[in-house]
Amino acid sequence: MARKMLNDGELSQPNQEEQTHFDFDLFVIGAGSGGVRAARFSANFGAKVGICELPFHPISSEVIGGVGGTCVIRGCVPKKILVYGASFGGELEDARSYGWEVHEKIDFDWKKLLQKKTDEILRLNGIYKRLLSNAGVKLYEGEGKIVGPNEVEVTQLDGTKLSYSAKHILIATGSRAQRAPIPGQELAITSDEALSLEELPKRAVVLGGGYIAVEFASIWRGMGSTVDLLFRKELPLRGFDDEMRAVVARNLEGRGINLHPRTTIKELIKSEEGVKVITDHGEEIVADVVLFATGRAPNTKRLNLKAVGVEVDQTGAVKVDENSRTNVPSIWAVGDVTNRMNLTPVALMEGTCFAKTVFGGQPCKPDYRDVPCAVFCIPPLSVVGLSEEQAIEQGKGDILVFTSSFNPMRNTISGRQEKTVMKLVVDAETEKVLGASMCGPEAPEIMQGIAVALKCGATKAQFDSTVGIHPSSAEEFVTMRSVTRRVAAASSNPKTNL
Amino acid sequence: MATSVTTPKLTTTFYNRLPITVPLSSHFLSLQNTLTPFSHNCFSLLYFQCRRRHVAARAKSDNGAELPSHYDFDLFTIGAGSGGVRASRFAANFGASVAICELPFSTISSETTGGVGGTCVLRGCVPKKLLVYASKFSHEFDESNGFGWKYGTEPQHDWSTLIANKNAELQRLTGIYKNILINAGITLIEGRGKIVDPHTVDVDGKLYSARHILISVGGRPFIPDIPGSEYAIDSDAALDLPSKPEKIAIVGGGYIALEFAGIFSGLTSEVHVFIRQKKVLRGFDEDIRDFVAEQMSLRGIEFHTEESPQAILKSTDGSLSVKTNKGTVDGFSHVMFATGRRPNTKNLGLEKVGVKMTKNGAIEVDEYSGTAVPSIWAVGDVTDRINLTPVALMEGGALAKTLFQAEPTKPDYSAVPSAVFSQPPIGQVGLSEEQAIQEYGDIDVFTANFRPLKATLSGLPDRIFMKLVLCAKTNKVLGLHMCGEDAPEIVQGFAVAVKAGLTKADFDATVGVHPTAAEEFVTLRTPTRKIRKSPPSE
Repeated sequence: MARKMLNDGELSQPNQEEQTHFDFDLFVIGAGSGGVRAARFSANFGAKVGICELPFHPISSEVIGGVGGTCVIRGCVPKKILVYGASFGGELEDARSYGWEVHEKIDFDWKKLLQKKTDEILRLNGIYKRLLSNAGVKLYEGEGKIVGPNEVEVTQLDGTKLSYSAKHILIATGSRAQRAPIPGQELAITSDEALSLEELPKRAVVLGGGYIAVEFASIWRGMGSTVDLLFRKELPLRGFDDEMRAVVARNLEGRGINLHPRTTIKELIKSEEGVKVITDHGEEIVADVVLFATGRAPNTKRLNLKAVGVEVDQTGAVKVDENSRTNVPSIWAVGDVTNRMNLTPVALMEGTCFAKTVFGGQPCKPDYRDVPCAVFCIPPLSVVGLSEEQAIEQGKGDILVFTSSFNPMRNTISGRQEKTVMKLVVDAETEKVLGASMCGPEAPEIMQGIAVALKCGATKAQFDSTVGIHPSSAEEFVTMRSVTRRVAAASSNPKTNL
Repeated sequence: MATSVTTPKLTTTFYNRLPITVPLSSHFLSLQNTLTPFSHNCFSLLYFQCRRRHVAARAKSDNGAELPSHYDFDLFTIGAGSGGVRASRFAANFGASVAICELPFSTISSETTGGVGGTCVLRGCVPKKLLVYASKFSHEFDESNGFGWKYGTEPQHDWSTLIANKNAELQRLTGIYKNILINAGITLIEGRGKIVDPHTVDVDGKLYSARHILISVGGRPFIPDIPGSEYAIDSDAALDLPSKPEKIAIVGGGYIALEFAGIFSGLTSEVHVFIRQKKVLRGFDEDIRDFVAEQMSLRGIEFHTEESPQAILKSTDGSLSVKTNKGTVDGFSHVMFATGRRPNTKNLGLEKVGVKMTKNGAIEVDEYSGTAVPSIWAVGDVTDRINLTPVALMEGGALAKTLFQAEPTKPDYSAVPSAVFSQPPIGQVGLSEEQAIQEYGDIDVFTANFRPLKATLSGLPDRIFMKLVLCAKTNKVLGLHMCGEDAPEIVQGFAVAVKAGLTKADFDATVGVHPTAAEEFVTLRTPTRKIRKSPPSE
């Protein structure tokens, strides 16, 4: 099969094809979501592709990783497995009002769940390896390093070094959890370890207000632990719609998590009873486990980027243009290492666009508009498009806000006091739905279809003309008849008659 | 849930201070005698816009709209179920004076019992879904074992707790509904309504006149007359059994049969389903029909296909036997028929007043829900169009607009999504593959059949099936089908997209929510098959 060597740039003029002496058309460093996608798709387009990845282990480091990457080994998948496991805690409570006599003595076997989780990620790790080999991608185990614009060096486990030339190099090394630099920080763990703890912590302290923090707080609480969640702001989940943040906070509290807003940790001290957490308010909490969910940093330190001249920003993220290309024309980067929108499906989109652009002859740019996402706290939050604040800030015109807060039918018998909240933000003039959010059971599943509608510019009238599926929670999205409020466009962008 | 009719979410209790029923008094009557000019205007507009065919008749009987009204009400609604309540409330909001009558509350419907809320709230969607919730726990216990949860003893189910809690909820809901009506200024009359003439309704001997009459009396389960059918129960009774069936025969292959099969199986009854056809769910996509039956079989439900009961026999020990064309199956504690529903049109005075009906007894209506009698309208199951609560709501809402807001509105039956709360459940919108081939000829089909993440851990044989049916020429998504956990919730958002006429490219342009089952719908890359009616032209 004839190889296509199409490119949008100066690098590979078709007439130069004869003169290329590279070992590979593409060498990918990092076999996570973005790297595997780019490698496979490029190979499907006829490119000769090599990929390197660090050896497998659930806990990552400079020298540990695994095919599948964060999502499969230390992120989405194991996290969701634990969320499933934790959700049964609430289910058991609800079951009783539905007539189920559940024996008082309920055991939760953390070790069993952890073992099954590890089995599952090993299985997926194997599947990913097979996907690569089936696509004809050559996989190397070892640490990749860029030694020239077209040269990659892979240090294997036994220390031997392999060197390969490649027409294009793709950096897809992802990111890793960071610890807050405070005294005693070595006593804390990150999400990597949290997904692989030997024992279920009876008392857990979680530092951070982002999605990772609220997810782990929900996981441990669902399994019966005492959980304290500390965060700097008034509400968790900065960047999300403020109203929904308040709903999440209320629900976390309702499920028994102790919230400590405007609080951070000053120091961790090892003590007889466990780790003593000293907050900046002088409060003391003793915990079996302290989780730092205080952000992640791109894995760029040992890639030798400086030497080859690849620019990184002050957080260490690789700087790229709209096509995921770095300032060195033969070097590209996708996924969390570029710190654009750190989500698996976005890395997949970037990887796909890269392959299409470089090897498919279909130049395309990832489209970051209306990317839906989910926070798997219990109950979960899911959003797509703009938050109310973002819509106002855009200042394009007045917006209409539709909200619905209701007691889900299931709760009428279980007696659980937890409202499901939904929200649509609509452009008052065009009637286009700018944003949708939901916090409640099945929110992430419900939001996917809504995201298709939003992405294609659906109007409120189109939502309204859709008949509901009864009885469901989701039908509320198509039956919001009265405007909750109308908000004027931001004053910073005043309208004029001129 | 539709804002009004789906009471489970209407947790507001601020209506509770209001009286439950407002008996009609002469004082009230006199108040209603003044018709607002608004309704006059609407009426005359409508007169020409949407009921042109009745102009002559109307002109004679009404002598135009100039006369002051001599009617007690602008609208009299018979039947306070989903459609009737929606039409009445909206009409009242638009300024009309409205009365509604409904039979006294009972969990079992009959010629003399019903209840405010109707089938959906009292004998359909709501109690059914509550029982589905209850029955799903047994599957969740099984799943939880795979996630490390262990129980001292196997959880047992106490039937009476469930039924008591369910009935308490229904009582609460019917109360809320009554209050919603009263709060909207609607006169609620308890009793059986019967049409006397085009503008008069008789409720247990009292006569009320109305400019418009709306029939929204719904439908009731129908049990075919076979020997021993007196031993059988219908879905009304099945939702309110005093004790758990040990072994139940369910006759029928429609959605009601499958939903109850799942309910009883989940609540640990032994379940046998007898269906006349080869497959369950006639009218659904063929792949979905196969998939759901297979998944339900894996959960322990026994299907007897092409096996029709001919008689039910009661033995001396009280157990029931079902005699079919293939033999006899013994030992049932209960036999349930889910063999269809019939419109409640008997003894309504319809024949006399000239309202036309189909041979099934459904009221024939035009696109605006108008019957053969210009002042009489009908919405909901009694018209046997698409028998779904949200469709009745749509019809009721459209009618109120047509009659009282000078905005002739037709209900739109295209791309109406629906769900079957079987276990696993089904959600669908648009055309089945078979319908799409009929209508479009050339279609592309994308499918996914996978084991969800939860099942890989639980070790249960649960799978999810998804399907997109596309027009080959335009790439438009014609149909979307799913069977698996959360299907009804997942399909709602996609229904907006399908209704808006979006294409596969639009689906593909949408980023997935990870990790979910729903994201599969936006990541289907390779067609499973391409069906071409005509050979390619090359």
